[in-house]
Amino acid sequence: MLMEDVLEGDCLIVSLNEKRLDAVIAANFREALVARIDQGQRNIVLDMSHVSFMDSSGLGAVVYVLKHIGHDGRLRICGVTPGVMAVLKLTRMDRVLKTFETREAAIAA
Amino acid sequence: MPSTLKIDPHPNRHSLRNAVDYHLEVTLAKSSHNADPEDYHLALALAIREPVIRAMNATEDRVRKSGAKQIHYLSMEFLIGRLLANNLRNLGLYDVCAEVASDMGLNLADVLETECDPALGNGGLGRLAACFLDSLASLSYPGYGYGINYQFGLFRQTFLNGFQREQPDNWAVHGTPWHVERREQSSMIPIYGRVEGDLDADGQYNPHWLDWKTLIGVPADIPVVGYGGRSVNFLRLYTARAPAEFDMAIFNDGDYLRAMEHQVAVETVSKVLYPSDSAEAGRELRFIQEYFFVACAMRDIFRRHAAAGHRIDEFGRYNAIQLNDTHPSLAVVELMRTLVDEHSISWDAAWEITQQTTAYTNHTLLPEALERWSAALFGRVLPRHLEIVYEINRRFLGEVALRHPGDDARLQRMSIVQDHPHKEIRMAHLAIVGSHSVNGVAEMHSELVKSQLVPDFYELWPERFNNKTNGVTPRRWLLNCNHRLADLISETLGEGWIADLAQLGRLEPLAADPAFRAAFRQVKLKNKTDLAKRMRSVAGVTVDPASMFDVQIKRIHEYKRQLLNALHIMHLYCRITEDRYALPAPKTFIFSGKAAPGYALAKLIIKLINNIARVVNADPRVNHSMRVVFYPDYKVSVAEVIVPAADLSEQISTAGYEASGTGNMKLAMNGALTIGTLDGANVEIAREVGADNIYIFGLTAAEVIERRLAGDVARLIYQTNPDVNRVVTRLTDGTFSHDDHGLFAPIARALLEQGDHYMHLSDFADYAQKHEQAARDYCDIERWSARAIMNVARSARFSSDRTIREYATEIWNLRQVV
Repeated sequence: MLMEDVLEGDCLIVSLNEKRLDAVIAANFREALVARIDQGQRNIVLDMSHVSFMDSSGLGAVVYVLKHIGHDGRLRICGVTPGVMAVLKLTRMDRVLKTFETREAAIAA
Repeated sequence: MPSTLKIDPHPNRHSLRNAVDYHLEVTLAKSSHNADPEDYHLALALAIREPVIRAMNATEDRVRKSGAKQIHYLSMEFLIGRLLANNLRNLGLYDVCAEVASDMGLNLADVLETECDPALGNGGLGRLAACFLDSLASLSYPGYGYGINYQFGLFRQTFLNGFQREQPDNWAVHGTPWHVERREQSSMIPIYGRVEGDLDADGQYNPHWLDWKTLIGVPADIPVVGYGGRSVNFLRLYTARAPAEFDMAIFNDGDYLRAMEHQVAVETVSKVLYPSDSAEAGRELRFIQEYFFVACAMRDIFRRHAAAGHRIDEFGRYNAIQLNDTHPSLAVVELMRTLVDEHSISWDAAWEITQQTTAYTNHTLLPEALERWSAALFGRVLPRHLEIVYEINRRFLGEVALRHPGDDARLQRMSIVQDHPHKEIRMAHLAIVGSHSVNGVAEMHSELVKSQLVPDFYELWPERFNNKTNGVTPRRWLLNCNHRLADLISETLGEGWIADLAQLGRLEPLAADPAFRAAFRQVKLKNKTDLAKRMRSVAGVTVDPASMFDVQIKRIHEYKRQLLNALHIMHLYCRITEDRYALPAPKTFIFSGKAAPGYALAKLIIKLINNIARVVNADPRVNHSMRVVFYPDYKVSVAEVIVPAADLSEQISTAGYEASGTGNMKLAMNGALTIGTLDGANVEIAREVGADNIYIFGLTAAEVIERRLAGDVARLIYQTNPDVNRVVTRLTDGTFSHDDHGLFAPIARALLEQGDHYMHLSDFADYAQKHEQAARDYCDIERWSARAIMNVARSARFSSDRTIREYATEIWNLRQVV
């Protein structure tokens, strides 16, 4: 699984450099994000601009991360492709997850 | 041979020959040395496919630019039949193709005969859908079909010792030139999972559908060529696939079997067409099939709507959705889910759009055929949708309660959710509540829908109920299947009738013209001779083309009463062999039809007919005046051979049971006289052709109900009517069962011990009397011909062009895009 971290101020930008967030990588993805949270990162922007397909395992992983970071943490998502947005809308998660078109907008929010 | 292909938008003999040669040599890598008729068929189809695809693209462009409203016809079945001949006729290229074939030393009819006949439907409902698509395209309405690309269509029927055997029908195993796969327009379809309730940022209930499994719906378009070639619409059929890269990932992990298991499980969804009338296992798969194609269609309709630049609140203004029976009723829920969940439309606004968009066609009065799904299954497969159904129902029952305070019984009758004895979702109620129009398919049927099937709904919304009598396309069912008669009509009237069937009315005066009658008779005789040759080859029975061809072709079912026909043949056999009776005119009784694999009595009726055929055809006392043939593996292409050859059309269902029938229309349009009950569209056929040109017999629908209320009459009829007594006795005395007295005992029991439920015995005497009359009438061949011509001349009402115009103006509010 290809992931890349960039720290801007107190905001950790995590780029998932995979085309698919599905059952094949969902568990690793979830553990990787949970590890960062457990290490103290409370302000995360997840850049999904490379991800064109997300299945329910992938969505489950994102939801798990959102719950794990809790109300006192911040998880935003940027670079949501049409395929991923379709899944978020299908499941109404677009009303829960904060999504932004660009990385800059997500950081500034 | 050419090494490159120059596309000619209007093929002539030379350019078409070039294209056929090109595809034979380059696409199929064959030459005249090793090409067989199937290769020629494929090369010809590929040559024709190019102008068809171009016309399809041009039609779509024209529709897009027009901004016109579109109709999306959702059906679990499309019984499309063979396509090449029909497309050639509609494009006006049949004759030039025949010349090209002749130039190549081939007979076009032989080449066309090699095309597979996709059995993507069970019977009338699926064939109706195909006729509607033809009419939509021929009338230049923007209308599209949505369904499932079943790998295995309805089973192939063979007989083993007279018993039906079912063989798989892998219809597309050799590929089809008419599929245009649109992989880039695939849809992701979730099923299963759970709903997790939560609150959104505004504190509103916000359920999340989680942990679903994924199906991928891959569309393939089949072009639907309208008559004249001006408009080419499409039928979009979906195949279920597993998400490919997902499987590859498992495969790469080394777990090949698991990857294959997942793929097989997913692809099962579009594997098999379920035979109607069968209560076999696999209901969950059937339910998933229904959701799968509805969800694929809805995504496609929303995608096209957005691509046209329309706003979401204009959805109902630009789209109409017709539910062909209850199988696509989930469209109501899927539309609501998409609008509310994905487009954040308020419930009330979404409901208005849903009702504005959706219309429902009822096809059956049989309570057992009205779909209900257990709430447990529904919730397991579509948890979010079940929530939406409950909310629709809650609001709907609130509306009913306001109109009828305290009437709990009414609420229970009308509820979408049936609570007892099992919690089930009533799909017909869902379709009615979610639609702005509910139609039956013949005048009588539409009245029975209102008065018997769902009277509470009619009382609540009388304006919602209407009739759209079925029709059949005259292109396939006269121009293409009966080219001799079509040529005779065109020589007499010109070709205008093909697009305007009302012009057939001008044939009426010709019924009095001896020369026209003789020409008409000659056509019929040639068609009968063709069918006789086929029957000798397929069923091994030799028949006399001069005999009266008495035809019953349809699904085998007790209510359709092939058994009544069989009992009557047994009766004639007994009269000839025991009573020294002589038939006024020789008769050939022709049956064709399939029984659902799980319908034991229907299968036994097939065995009975085959046994009767064996006895009658081998008995020298009888076989000079009477033959019986069961033509196996009934399908569209078989009907296309039998229909033009029929003299007498058996439409003998128990009154009140057949919604419409369309075989009755095809046969009348081709000059067969009907012997039938006052059921379905027979009533309208009788009105159109006139009482002198049809044989009506039997109890009416109201009399059937009265007879049932009067108590069990079966034994009384059996004891008092010697003819009935004799044929029922013959069922079990070994005459037709090689002394196996028990073989047909279940049929005898069904007749005698179930209160004559389908009125076989009650209607027998009248049926036999009308048959006797028809046989005598047939001897006056001039008068018979005149009456047959009157049937053709007065069949205009039964064109699907008329039906589609009514749908377009009265339900869909659609305009033509020319």
